[in-house]
Amino acid sequence: MTMDTHSPTGPSVPDLDLDSLRQAIQTEYQVVAENPDHGFHFHTGRPLTRMLGYDDAWLEGISEAAIASFAGTGNPFSMEQPGPGDRVVDVGCGAGMDSLVAAKMVGPEGHVVGVDMTPAMLAKARKAARDTGLRNVEYREGFGEALPVFDGWADLVISNGVLNLMPDKHAALGEMARVLKPGGRLQIADILVEKPVPAGAKRNIDLWTG
Amino acid sequence: MAGFVDFEITWRADVFGGAPQESSAASFGTMGINFRARKATSEEEWQAALARLNCELPS
Repeated sequence: MTMDTHSPTGPSVPDLDLDSLRQAIQTEYQVVAENPDHGFHFHTGRPLTRMLGYDDAWLEGISEAAIASFAGTGNPFSMEQPGPGDRVVDVGCGAGMDSLVAAKMVGPEGHVVGVDMTPAMLAKARKAARDTGLRNVEYREGFGEALPVFDGWADLVISNGVLNLMPDKHAALGEMARVLKPGGRLQIADILVEKPVPAGAKRNIDLWTG
Repeated sequence: MAGFVDFEITWRADVFGGAPQESSAASFGTMGINFRARKATSEEEWQAALARLNCELPS
């Protein structure tokens, strides 16, 4: 196995201060975890789940605290739902709502691993799993560019609003491929930028987080 | 290592409009999207998918 838990490679954006970027993202999402009603440049919570087409039945029984801190940009389950017994990796799981939805869908024979770099989000996700009573989900600290998951472990990789925050997208997608089984599925919600982003803007950390 | 095949964007929408704080998203035409792909089942399938790629630049 080639599971790599060391610091990932550097950003593909020249002159971007990776540590400062990660700190800014962690600071922003710590607020999302601890004060989800603060008001952000993105929508959050149950109203967002309805905007993005989440079925209310998927959320039944899931901790309201996890739902309140949901900050996705789409719906990975709209393409195909994981089936009973599937193994799922949720990259950038945040407060854990998508991981918990997946855990309900895969049932007791399946397993879900949520990965996030923000300790406040991981703490909230772990509590949400306990409160929801799901034992087939676990949360691990790590970066999307160095997933703490074994090679070829997953049937499905999901992510929601996170790939855009990773400076080295080639490495992140490579990691998603590494942890998937041959024929495994990738179902991602993220953002698409339709206008060219100037190089100076790519180095502006305020624009990455807002 | 085999890469992804069958890439497809399945949905796109404005997901930032009306958010509580002003966003830079609109100035870059930012949309929320869902996309899917599948990891190739073998190196042969992956190489075949690469071979089918054909990108022509306008003259």
